[in-house]
Amino acid sequence: MADIAHSPQVLPRREFGTISQARWWRGHLQGSEYAWALAFCIPYVAVFFAFVVYPVAFGLWMGSDPALYPQLFSDPIYWETVVNTALFLGIAINVKLFLALLLSGFFMRRGWWVKGLLMIFVLPWAVPALPTYISIHWMLNGEWGLVNNLLWHVFGINGPDWLTERWSALASVMTSHVWKWLPFWTVILLAGRMAIPTDIQEAAKVDGATGFRMFVHVNFPLIANLYFICTLLSTIFSLGDFNVVTFVSGGGPADSTHVLATLGIRYAFDLSQPRLGVAAVITALPLLIPLVIMLMRKFKTSQVQL
Amino acid sequence: MVRLTRRSLLHTSIGLFAAGTFARPYIANAQAKTATFWHPQGFVPQEDESLHEFVADYQKMSGNTIDLSIVPFAPLRQKIISAITSGVVPDLIGTTPPETLPLQAWDDKLVDVSDIVEQQKAKLLPIAAASAYCYNNTTKKHSYYGVPYQGSVVPFHIWRTLVEKAGFKESDIPDKWDAFIDFFKPIQKKLQEQGMRHTYATAFVVSTIGNDPTNTFQQFMIAYGGKDIVTKDGKFNGGDAKVREGVTKAVERLASLYKDGYIPPSSINWNDADDNNAFHSKLCVMDFDGTISTELGMLAKQKDEYNDVITAAPPKMNDGSQMPVQFGTNNLIIPKGAKNVEVAKEIAKYMSQPDVNGKFLKGGAGRWLPVYPETVKTDPFWTDAKRDPHVPPYVDEAFGGRELVPFYYIYNPAWAKVRSEHPFNVAMHEVTKGNAKSTEAVDVAFKRINEIFATYQMKA
Repeated sequence: MADIAHSPQVLPRREFGTISQARWWRGHLQGSEYAWALAFCIPYVAVFFAFVVYPVAFGLWMGSDPALYPQLFSDPIYWETVVNTALFLGIAINVKLFLALLLSGFFMRRGWWVKGLLMIFVLPWAVPALPTYISIHWMLNGEWGLVNNLLWHVFGINGPDWLTERWSALASVMTSHVWKWLPFWTVILLAGRMAIPTDIQEAAKVDGATGFRMFVHVNFPLIANLYFICTLLSTIFSLGDFNVVTFVSGGGPADSTHVLATLGIRYAFDLSQPRLGVAAVITALPLLIPLVIMLMRKFKTSQVQL
Repeated sequence: MVRLTRRSLLHTSIGLFAAGTFARPYIANAQAKTATFWHPQGFVPQEDESLHEFVADYQKMSGNTIDLSIVPFAPLRQKIISAITSGVVPDLIGTTPPETLPLQAWDDKLVDVSDIVEQQKAKLLPIAAASAYCYNNTTKKHSYYGVPYQGSVVPFHIWRTLVEKAGFKESDIPDKWDAFIDFFKPIQKKLQEQGMRHTYATAFVVSTIGNDPTNTFQQFMIAYGGKDIVTKDGKFNGGDAKVREGVTKAVERLASLYKDGYIPPSSINWNDADDNNAFHSKLCVMDFDGTISTELGMLAKQKDEYNDVITAAPPKMNDGSQMPVQFGTNNLIIPKGAKNVEVAKEIAKYMSQPDVNGKFLKGGAGRWLPVYPETVKTDPFWTDAKRDPHVPPYVDEAFGGRELVPFYYIYNPAWAKVRSEHPFNVAMHEVTKGNAKSTEAVDVAFKRINEIFATYQMKA
């Protein structure tokens, strides 16, 4: 009781002034309690510094030389990569989320077979990414890949060389990303839809809303916030996604399908220029920071939304 | 009885922590005879077994301990760069890729090992010794920063069975460059007519990843007279008309081979091991690839076909003169900051004894060539064609009297950057796509190379 009464949050301003500054700083802990509190905090603070503050600060320090940026911007591959990154984020993320929104509606249907289908549908997300991306890379091989062999044996046509031309390779990368992550976001949006109170939908039905009108005027407005947060999160995750490009197209042909994450690795390890690699990744910050701020603002919203 | 209080527990913990901190240097000293050694994994298991044997021999001889890490070559490259960037380094590294040596020496990140190399210099192949003599941009001087221990050349690998299946004989293979390359074109046609829908004449790597695309391009460039693209004093020689012509012809030739379908389309995305795999699966009749890893790789899965492959040095120049061939050297390096420099030097010194080095390379099935010519002369392992059909022609390419051209980064580390950026393969693709004429594409490549060389200026 005494502790609550002395809490600075509940005390009137003039009473707060009566507590010594040192004691306020120590959170009302006395003597050895303060030492114990510190002792218990130290491991967490140390871990935070070792695994969060230090790597971030080291990374920023590595990319802090202004001379790196003219060097980076003079590389034509960098600008090609910026375009690829924008296309990847702009197209793949939105197609994926839109499909997830539609499919989440489908999986709301009743029936055992729908649940069974859902289990099969989440498999691409459940299996490890690397073997599946490598499998896709092999499947799309122009000479002996599964896709072109099927085209030959079933239709008697020579399939295109999917990964040897920039746009088809980039499309393959995006399709692989959508295939891999669509189930995850579908399940998230499905959970959002399931949280919509049924009485709202029943009331809308009484007013004559069904099908498309129900979706546009009732369901979507209620999950719009969730949809937007999912889009932001997926964009942030995908900006650092290294796997899909590395294992599906390898950044090729001729380094034409890199995204910023893979270009950073190319500079760091293929060209033995780790600082330039970090600089390439740092150039994503003007996009990344506003996205994180927008996300944080969304989390602070006080309106009742899903 | 001592009473344990919270305060006493805290004090004891802090005391133990402080004692541990101060005691640490003494613990480290007690382990001073252990050296960490990072080495690239072999392409065949014999290489790793031979390395383990070398380590065991050294440990027995010296009483020291080697903490050996064998790492696949691509991750090792990343590990080396990360270690040197962060400053937490091993004591000894087998360089991969080899250009790590000139690049890190330039940045003053390596320990000078002149004391070891100078002792063996007279016995070393001159091109191998030269590979370790690098420029340090801090001291503004050349010195030895690596101990040469493995060599390699780049041979052709040809499926004899496919040549014969197409109705030709091994003796039909021409001995001049252009005719040699063109020989495989009708073979492709005939094999495809026989139902081998995806069998190509060549497995030339035309991607912009790894070492193979540059090695391939450079051999074309050498064949067309562009050998002196970098001078021995480390200058880019793109202004030389002969060099420019050699580069332009190489770009045109590779572009036309790719465009005309004599190279698998997927080669544009291949990394270093992909042409080996393509060759093994008979996706192509001929490949040009460094070392005899292609052949040795067959021992595990295709042993019955081991003798069906021909290993051959590049043919003569178009004018009939002997073709210069590329010779690469791998070195042992000691990064600055290594805890046990003395032990690392002792290991490198042990490896640089010709008999020890010869045993190590022989144990690795001969994938890597000796850098001490006396090894080849004294041990029939390297020259006996009855014992193995691939090692002798591989050895002959290096020691048979041909002019040996180094990988140019030994003259200037700028070339290591050029190799990584692949400006010539980019030029080739621009020509293939019809975006530029060969001369224009070469101009762009030369401009980029000049920019790179401008950042690596060496004092005479």
